[in-house]
Amino acid sequence: MNEFLAQFLVESRELVEHATDDLLALEQVPDDRARLDSAFRGFHTLKGAAGIVEFTAMGRAVHAAEDLLEAVRSGEQPVTADLVSNCLACLDQVVRWLDAIDAEGALPIDAEAAAARLVARLASPAGPSLADARAASAAEDPDPPWAGRLRADTAGVVGARIAIRYTPSADCFFRGEDPLGLMSRLPGLLALEIRPLQPWPPLEELDPFAANLVIDALSSASSKEVADHLRPVSDQVRIYALRQDDDPVFPDRAAKVLKAQLALLSAPRGQEMAGRWASAGRVAANVLRHLGMEAEAAVIDAALARSLAAGDPAALLAALEATVNAAPAAAPREGGDDPGRIPSSPQDAIARALRVDIDRIDAIVNLTGELTVVKNALGHAAERARQGTDPEGLAQVLKQQHALLDRLTAELQRSVLAIRVLPLGHLFRRFSRPVRELARTLGKTLRLVIEGETTEADKAVVEALFEPLMHVLRNAVGHGVETAEQRRASGKPETAVIQLRGRRQGEHVVVEVADDGRGIDVVDVRRAAAARHLATTEALAALSDDAVVDLIFAPGFSTVGAVTDVSGRGVGMDAVRSAIERLGGRVAVKSRAGEGTTVRFVLPFTVMMTRVMTVEAAGQVFGVPFDAIVETLQLARDGIVAIGAAEAFVLRGRTVPLISLARALDADTTIATPSVANIVVIETGGQLAALEVDRFGERLDVMLKPMDGLLGGTTLVAGTTLLGDGRVLIVLDPLELLQ
Amino acid sequence: MTVKLENGNILLAGICPADDAEPLLRLVLNNRRAIVDWRACDEAHTAVIQILLAAKPELLGPPANPFLNRRIAPLIGDRRSGAHSSD
Repeated sequence: MNEFLAQFLVESRELVEHATDDLLALEQVPDDRARLDSAFRGFHTLKGAAGIVEFTAMGRAVHAAEDLLEAVRSGEQPVTADLVSNCLACLDQVVRWLDAIDAEGALPIDAEAAAARLVARLASPAGPSLADARAASAAEDPDPPWAGRLRADTAGVVGARIAIRYTPSADCFFRGEDPLGLMSRLPGLLALEIRPLQPWPPLEELDPFAANLVIDALSSASSKEVADHLRPVSDQVRIYALRQDDDPVFPDRAAKVLKAQLALLSAPRGQEMAGRWASAGRVAANVLRHLGMEAEAAVIDAALARSLAAGDPAALLAALEATVNAAPAAAPREGGDDPGRIPSSPQDAIARALRVDIDRIDAIVNLTGELTVVKNALGHAAERARQGTDPEGLAQVLKQQHALLDRLTAELQRSVLAIRVLPLGHLFRRFSRPVRELARTLGKTLRLVIEGETTEADKAVVEALFEPLMHVLRNAVGHGVETAEQRRASGKPETAVIQLRGRRQGEHVVVEVADDGRGIDVVDVRRAAAARHLATTEALAALSDDAVVDLIFAPGFSTVGAVTDVSGRGVGMDAVRSAIERLGGRVAVKSRAGEGTTVRFVLPFTVMMTRVMTVEAAGQVFGVPFDAIVETLQLARDGIVAIGAAEAFVLRGRTVPLISLARALDADTTIATPSVANIVVIETGGQLAALEVDRFGERLDVMLKPMDGLLGGTTLVAGTTLLGDGRVLIVLDPLELLQ
Repeated sequence: MTVKLENGNILLAGICPADDAEPLLRLVLNNRRAIVDWRACDEAHTAVIQILLAAKPELLGPPANPFLNRRIAPLIGDRRSGAHSSD
C-alpha cells in the first residue's frame, strides 16, 4: 500500500470516529451549533481526503451527507433521528470502504453503486423545497427518494430512466381528464404506484367527482417522450431524470447471474445434479455477499444445506426464487437498518496503528540522550579501571553511574509502557452506536452518558474490556431499562439514563455501567437459582439480597426464559466475570429494585503479562515462568545419579541438581518412572537446577494473580491464572522450589 | 349501462366512463359485501378506479384490460389476477 493510502486510512478512521461522536451528540442536543459545525467539518475533511487519493465514489457519498448537514446549518432541515441515521449510514459505508482498502491495498473497484445508493438515500427526505432546488441545480441532482422506493418496491424493474410524479388536480375529472388512462399509455411504463393524496374518507363521504390521487411511475423512455406524452397535464406532473449507474435491487450483471442459477436449478434432473445445486447455491450466495446482502446469502446457504441433505433442490430453488423475486424487501441495507442485529461499530477491528502523544515520544527521546551520557561516563570509568590508580574513586564513579542507570532504565520502562496507555474514551466511544441502535430496535428511549473518558488504562485492558462491557450494556438496554410507558407508570422520567463511567483509583481503574431501570428482581434470581440447582432453597434463603444478586455471575445462570437476539446468546454474566478475572480484575453488581443496577469493574492499571511454559506432573498442569527456564531436554535415566537422597546430572560439565516435580509437590510417586526423563533446566538466583516433569506443555502469556486470602501463605506458588477454558493454572515459584 | 348489480354482484363491463363512478359508489355503499366482477371490463376511467381503490371491494377478475389487471388489480388486493398473470 502506498504511503498516501496508508495515511488516508488512519486519518479517515479518525474522522469517522469524531463525526460519529458529533452526530450522536447532535441527536441528543439538536441545536448544538458547535457539534453541527464539527460534524460538517468532519464530512468536509473526509471528502477532501477522498479527493487526495482520488476516491471519487467516496467523495460523492460524503458530499451528499455534507450537503444534508449544510441544509441543517442553513435551517432548511431539522435534525431528525432519520437524518442522523442516514449520515451514520454514510460513515458505515466509508468504514466498509476503508476496510476494503486495508485488505486489498487499493481503492475498491465496485464503490460506485454503493455510493449512488447512499447519494439517493441522503437526498433530502421528501423535502419538496430542497428537492426542487436540487432539480434546478442540474448535474448533481439526486434522484427523488420516492423513485428509489418505487424501484425497490417493484421487483425486477431494470432500466428505469425517468421517474414521474403526477398529482391530478381535484377537478380534473370535470375537465375530461383521465389520469390513469393517460398513464396506462405512457411510453416505457415500468412501475406504477397510486396513493390517495389525502387519506380516503369514509365511503359515505367520498366525492366520486373529485380526484384524490398521487400517481408515481417509472419509465424506460426518454424524458422527451415522457414529457411529450404528459404535455396536456404538464402543470400537474413532475418529471425526474434518474441516474443510470444504480439499480438499487440488483445490478444487471448480478441479476443475470442469479437468474442463470435459477435456470440451472429448474433444469431437468440428472445424475450430476447434487454437485450442480451446490455450485449454483454457492454462486448465488457469493453474488449476494458481493452485493452486501449477507442475510440473504445466509438464507441461500441454509437452503443449500437442506437441499443437499434431502437430495432435492426444491428448498434451494424456493429460497433462490424468493430472493430474486422478493428482492425489494431484501435490497442491500446500509448498516443500522437491520432490526435486532447490533451493527458492528466502525472501530470494532482492533486498531492496528497507535497514535501516540508527541510529548511521550519526546520524553523517550530525552531519556535516550541521558542514557548516552551514562554510556560515555562508563567508557571513561573503564579507562580509569585500566590505569588502576584510584580503585576507591573508581568504585565511587561506578556506583554513581549505576544509580543513574537504574533511574534511567526504570524511567524508560515507564515511558515505554505509557505508550501503551490509552484513554478509556477510546473504548467508550465504540458503544454509542450499538447502544443507540439497540435502543431504537427495542423502542426504548434512553441516553448513554459517558463520564471519565480521559481516564487511562493499559491498551491490553482497554481492548479486552470491549466484549464484557458490551455484554453488560446490552443487558442494561435489553433488560435493565424499562419502556417509556412502564417508566411513566412508575413515575420515572421517560428517558432512561445509562451511565458509563471510568475513573482511576490508586493502582486500579474502575469502570461502571449504571442504569436507572427496574433493578434486578431478587425474588426472580432466588427462584432461578433454585431451579438451576445453584444452591439449595435453604442456603438461598440464608443469603443476603446482595449475595443473591451476585448469583447472576454464577455459571449457567440466566433469568431470561427465552433467548433473545439482544442478549442471552448462551454466554451470560459468568463469561463477563471470567473475562474480567483473566485481566486480574473483579466485577461486582449492585441493584436496588425500581432504582437501577450498577455493574462495577475494578481492573489493574496495567496488565502484567507473564510468559509461562506449562508442564505436567502427577497428572496436573503447572506453569513455570519463562524467564527462569534455561532449556528443556530429555535425558536417559542412566545419566541421572543419586547423591544422597537427591538426584543430579551433568550438563555441559556442570552438576545440576534434579528435583522431581511430582515428588516435590508430595504427589503420588508410585507411578513407574519412564526410561527417559523430561527435564526443565531453570536458573534462579544465579543457580542452575532442573525439574523433572512428565510432559512439556505450551507457551502462554498470562496475567498472574498472586495468592491471597486463605491461600496467601502457600509457598512454592508464584500465583495463579485462569486458562482460556476456565481452568486454574498454578504457576510455580522456582526460587522457593529450590529451597 | 356499464355498471350494474346482478345476482348480488356488481358488474363492470365494457368501457366504464367517469360517469360510472357515482353509480358504482352508490352500489358499493348499498351492497357492502358485494363482489365486483370486472372480468368484462375493457377500460375504466380514473374516477371509477378511484372508487375501487377507496372501497377495496372483493374483486372477481382478471379484468379484460391488461393495464387494469397488471397495474391496478394488485393495488386493490385482487389475488386472482394481478402482476403474476400475463398481460
